[in-house]
Amino acid sequence: MKRRIWNVVRMEWAGMAATPSSLLFLVVIPLILVAQALLLSWIVPRFVNPAILGPTAADASALRLLILRQFPFFVLLIPAMVANVFATLGIVEEKVSRTLEPLLATPVRTWELLVGKILSGAVPGLLVAWVSAALFVAVGHALGWGSQLRLVLTATFFLDVLLLMPAVSLLSFILGVIGSSRARDAKEAQNLAVLVIFPIFALIAVQVTGLVEFTPVRTLLLSLAFFAVDAVLLRGAVRLFGRESIVTRWK
Amino acid sequence: MIDHTVISTEGLSKRFGDRVAVDALTVAVCGGEIVGLLGPNGAGKTTTLRMLAGIIAPSAGRAVVDGRDPASEPEKVHESIGFLTESPGFYERLSAERNLAYFAAFYGGVDAKAAAARELARLGLADRARDKVGTFSKGMKQRLALARVLLHGPRILFLDEPTAGLDPEAARNLRELIVSLREHGCTVLLSTHNLSEAEELSDRIAVFRTRLLAIDTPRALRERQFERRLRVRLADGVAPSLAALREEPYVREARVEEDGVLTVLLADPDSDRPRLVSRIVQAGGQILEVREDERPLEDVYLSLVREEET
Repeated sequence: MKRRIWNVVRMEWAGMAATPSSLLFLVVIPLILVAQALLLSWIVPRFVNPAILGPTAADASALRLLILRQFPFFVLLIPAMVANVFATLGIVEEKVSRTLEPLLATPVRTWELLVGKILSGAVPGLLVAWVSAALFVAVGHALGWGSQLRLVLTATFFLDVLLLMPAVSLLSFILGVIGSSRARDAKEAQNLAVLVIFPIFALIAVQVTGLVEFTPVRTLLLSLAFFAVDAVLLRGAVRLFGRESIVTRWK
Repeated sequence: MIDHTVISTEGLSKRFGDRVAVDALTVAVCGGEIVGLLGPNGAGKTTTLRMLAGIIAPSAGRAVVDGRDPASEPEKVHESIGFLTESPGFYERLSAERNLAYFAAFYGGVDAKAAAARELARLGLADRARDKVGTFSKGMKQRLALARVLLHGPRILFLDEPTAGLDPEAARNLRELIVSLREHGCTVLLSTHNLSEAEELSDRIAVFRTRLLAIDTPRALRERQFERRLRVRLADGVAPSLAALREEPYVREARVEEDGVLTVLLADPDSDRPRLVSRIVQAGGQILEVREDERPLEDVYLSLVREEET
């Protein structure tokens, strides 16, 4: 079982390595997101018009802290996008190149194939997100924001990175599978699966507006809710990924 | 080499919505046998192979392949079968050997790299092992697909259009390979539109049109659909012999064809043949050649399919 799953993972990664654009995506998107977050944290407090902030405005340091606090949710975009792209690439390619039927004639089980694909997409997505978070913190420290970062690196932050991120990464991959099962090509699949971005934007909006304060308990509950949604959607994805649909309906 | 039954079906059926793709197929195939599946497009040949390979489940009936039910134990069945699918799908950005090693690694007890190298050499693709499959011609991909099917040394092969897209030489090599696999005890179910290939390779031929119309040896199918006639070519014209022949009780019919050859329908083509030859000679005919008028398999196939239509 492990051997067959690992075989799928290795093959997926070999396919990615043979596709420079996917590797570029793996590096460029996280870098852009981290750079964007750092730039915002640096520029906004420095150049914001005091007239906009009004008489009760916080100082620059408090404003930066507000922006830094968005980062844990902002960085969720990374595993979501990376896993999504890898899911669509991994499945649509099978569909277009008609490799699924020969694959299903081997002793690999459908769930092993799917788990292999999930790991091959979600693990790089997560790793890149963790590296991005570490990079963000390291650069923040280098820029002298240590005292503000200490207020960000709370239990909520670590729950976000260790629980919410995997849940979102999984959700993104599953939506990628569902999108790919319905789509004719990678572009169409990504268009469908990009819907995963919207809940993340909603989280960012909720955080920015201060409507909900993300305490450790709430973050934990949110992560569990995402995992529950993952479980429900996974059932649907497995059904769509059934052998019969693949060989008779996937065109 | 032919021994016990290794593939059997009983009332095997498949429906897709209202459409019946395979209707109550009951058949048995012995070990070491090659059975050709013939039928028009949409006749259910590929669906049958997919059910036998455990890729799709039957709507009714059951199959047993190498002692196991492919619907309930597909992965076990996959250990002993090789399924050459209709389209030879590959990961085109990866090399031929990487593709094969990937598929080989799903089988227990197979050294993936060694198996890939062995089959690439067997199919004459060793020198292209490290090339991306995307650079391969259609025929090379088809050979690579066959190499993939053989990686784990299967005892049963399901081949869906194996020579489609191959040039004549490659097609011949592949047919020779299929024969040699049979000689090593492999059982083959071969779906094809190439009738001469089916006849050359198959011990028995099954004609399909959603349901099984007939299954037998090519010769028996001919006899079933057409009467056996003898063609007698004479050196000195047929007229005197023809008149004499029509008087014989064992001659059911005798006529001269447009090409001047005498065709004769005998009561018993095997035992009456020597008597016929003696009679022609007695009547003064000089025989150049006597042979059975063997109808092409195409005629047999079309006759069976049209019979079903009417």
